Amino acid sequence: MIKLEDVSKVYKGDVVALRNASVEIGKGEFVFLVGASGSGKSTFIRLLNKEEDPTGGHIFVAGKDIGDLSAWKVPFLRRNIGCVFQDFKLLSNKTVAENVAFALEVIGRPRHVVQTQVPAILDLVGLGAKADNFPNELSGGEQQRVSIARAFVNRPLILLADEPTGNLDPATSVGIMRLLDRINKTGTTVVMATHDRGIVDTMRRRVIELDRGEIIRDQARGVYE
Amino acid sequence: MAIKVDYVIRETGSNIFRNFTITLASVLTVMVSLFLVGFSFMLGQGVENATRRWQGGIEFIVFLNPNATQDQVQSVDRDLKESPEIEKVTFVDQNAAYEEFKQLFAGQQDLLESVTPDVLPPSYRVVPRQKDAQSVEALSVQFRNKAGVKEVVSATETIRLVQQLSSRLTLGIVFVSGFLLLAAFLLILNTIRMAIYARRREIEVMKLVGATNWFIRVPFMVEGLVQGVIGALLAIAGLLLFKPFFEQWLPPADQFPLFSGFVPASSQLLGTYFLLGVTGMVVGAIGAGIAVTRFLDV
Repeated sequence: MIKLEDVSKVYKGDVVALRNASVEIGKGEFVFLVGASGSGKSTFIRLLNKEEDPTGGHIFVAGKDIGDLSAWKVPFLRRNIGCVFQDFKLLSNKTVAENVAFALEVIGRPRHVVQTQVPAILDLVGLGAKADNFPNELSGGEQQRVSIARAFVNRPLILLADEPTGNLDPATSVGIMRLLDRINKTGTTVVMATHDRGIVDTMRRRVIELDRGEIIRDQARGVYE
Repeated sequence: MAIKVDYVIRETGSNIFRNFTITLASVLTVMVSLFLVGFSFMLGQGVENATRRWQGGIEFIVFLNPNATQDQVQSVDRDLKESPEIEKVTFVDQNAAYEEFKQLFAGQQDLLESVTPDVLPPSYRVVPRQKDAQSVEALSVQFRNKAGVKEVVSATETIRLVQQLSSRLTLGIVFVSGFLLLAAFLLILNTIRMAIYARRREIEVMKLVGATNWFIRVPFMVEGLVQGVIGALLAIAGLLLFKPFFEQWLPPADQFPLFSGFVPASSQLLGTYFLLGVTGMVVGAIGAGIAVTRFLDV
């Protein structure tokens, strides 16, 4: 599903975010990216989404080299990739339902699809009752559920999560991880960058550890360190 | 991918009302800029009108010898009246010339007493069809050498001067209008960019969930277009309201004939209004398109 071949990313001023990374992630896998701040986790995720381009190497998503992708095709790549962030990135002037519906509308889904999909996905994340609330009326955990609903409503092949529990307390985080696990069980590949030792150690999934841009560990059913 | 019309209308509508102050700023910017552009066009049209009117009064005078023979006078008369290049000929006989002379030198008794009608040359006032300096010059040369003609007086130098002045004024006005248009475009671009900056998060999310650039751009462009059109309509309304005042401020036409017709008729300004409307539309839509592009690069 995802393949990195000798990928490097060097920012301006010789800041190396990723160095000769080669890794393959299969369909339906759940992968944790761990490592200190600045080790290249976020860059890894941003490269997969083509928010940035590598300075060297090739990245394959669903069998296609995304380096060859012309700019106008990038939106179509992103429709196969859901994104969840530490800061949720919800639109504060739209309700919960509108935030989720927005993701379907902007890719041109017909209205009847929007009208059936949005309540269904909100029920899935356990927020059916809060559809008409605004994001600032929700707790952090609930807001993250909305953002997961938005990322998943389009049934993407891949879900990228950049420290999705970074702003949440441990109990709330467990709920979020359960949700991500459920999504993973539907066959969606999940790649999650995290600092949360407890989560990694409990879930026992594949762990890829980065240190100053290099992959120093790739362990099936791994632990945080 | 088809962009759904109801989505665009909904987005545009809600954005215009949600950011009402910024929308108002854009509309007023378009209005003021296009008003100034329209006003400079109005001035340009006025200069052209005045020049044309002034040239309409151009004539040259063929003075005959007071002692020219009847044959010579008839020959000149026939040539003038039959020439296809001449619009109008008026004969001023010696008595009429004397009357004019008296008017011109009223109060200068010595001069008036020394002149009698029979020393004044009779003359033809000739209005040529082509009013530019070259044609008038060519015509006057034609008659200067005819028998019985004393002198041909034409205002070629003056014509040349007025033509030069008018073309320079027009050029100046075109320049000023161009700069105003450019300034208007940049102002609109900035205002729209400000409006879009306030919504960059929305654009970021749209990009992340896979909206195409055109899908993001079109509602903004429609918004810019609506703002541009409203601004242009207000500018046109402003010009229509302003015109009567402008007419009043100018010196009255009977005292300064140069200013007669300086304020163009409404029918003459239709083109200008049309141009302002189109400019508002184009500037609004393109400005928004350019402004939003800067935020699309996620």
